Amino acid sequence: MRQAVVAALAAASLSAAGPAPAQDAAARSTLSTAERTEAFAKLPYWPGYWVSEQYANTTIGGFAAPRPAGSPRLQRLNGFDAPYNDEGKARQAEAARTRAGRRADGWGYPMMMDAATPFQIMITPEETLIVNAYGETRHIYTDGRPMPPAEDMWPTVWGTSIGHWEGDTLVIETVQVQMPYTYFHGGPTFSEEARYHERIRMDGDHLVMEMTVEDPVTLTGPWSATITHVREQAFDRMVQMDFSNDRTGSENGVNTIEPPADEREGQ
Amino acid sequence: MRFQFAGAVLGAVALAVTPAQAHHSFAMFDMTKEVTVSGTVRQFQWTNPHAYIQLMAKDAQGRDVEWSMEMGAPMYLYARGWRPGSLKNGMRVTVTLNPLRNGQPGGVVRDVTGADGKPIGTNR
Repeated sequence: MRQAVVAALAAASLSAAGPAPAQDAAARSTLSTAERTEAFAKLPYWPGYWVSEQYANTTIGGFAAPRPAGSPRLQRLNGFDAPYNDEGKARQAEAARTRAGRRADGWGYPMMMDAATPFQIMITPEETLIVNAYGETRHIYTDGRPMPPAEDMWPTVWGTSIGHWEGDTLVIETVQVQMPYTYFHGGPTFSEEARYHERIRMDGDHLVMEMTVEDPVTLTGPWSATITHVREQAFDRMVQMDFSNDRTGSENGVNTIEPPADEREGQ
Repeated sequence: MRFQFAGAVLGAVALAVTPAQAHHSFAMFDMTKEVTVSGTVRQFQWTNPHAYIQLMAKDAQGRDVEWSMEMGAPMYLYARGWRPGSLKNGMRVTVTLNPLRNGQPGGVVRDVTGADGKPIGTNR
């Protein structure tokens, strides 16, 4: 028995001497403390609970505050106006056909950047984190590493992001995003080969995000949208809650509210 | 069950704005109408992506009808002074809402007042 435990510890030790150190190094800064302090001081600070201007001052019913008459139309990330090729048009038609009554799993990327859910941006020299009130998180590495090799990535809801700073502008490239429509019924129908380019900067009290999407599968050319974010007021902290009670239903092609869980048949 | 609005105060209100799409389209609600319903809270669901008030009210025939009243996400309710304990089971409240188009007893909440007539939270 004792021999077996010793053998197991030895095996664990050997394992720890294998690939683990490389992974550990990737999770730590390669800068000295002084270098890191200096790097930190040069970075912007974007505190606040950000929402796209579309959703500013949302009421208890989920309504955004009305914008003054004549206000310019706000762009969206839903991709409805993207230049679709035949495949893209087919996906849009299928989305339109199946959208009614569909439930969602959250916002996902890119919709979490244009959502009725505030997010925070935490900037460090090594990476920037964007975290929203559903607990959805983007890790944007800015430590100089390249995009991982193709064989080390696979499609996810939030994709894989690498970034760098150009002055006070955060420049991000994101790839390997699952078709956004799958996760959120209002999302675009871009393919998993799409590349998302973002440039985020402060302009006065607004956060401005310019996004360009290239997708050889669904688009005839690049599609761009600019989203401005404002700080939502009255939040004293980020309260994260899961996405557990989507009661969207459908009746004769029109959305409705499903009965509460404790009154549904079979429950 | 189809609920007749006879027991509720029904008013046609022309709204000057089209609300932004939140988690889903607002097309399921008749935004040209506001209905006011008074009743007793059966359940307050403090959940994402929406909070819901399950309210027991009487219809025109005096029968109990349960309304499903949709609200925004808890994070926004919190910022407007609401808490999970703002509505307790058995509490009497009056809710103004835009009703579901399909005639079911439900809608999207505009305002909520307590039995004392005072609004709950700050809303707008």
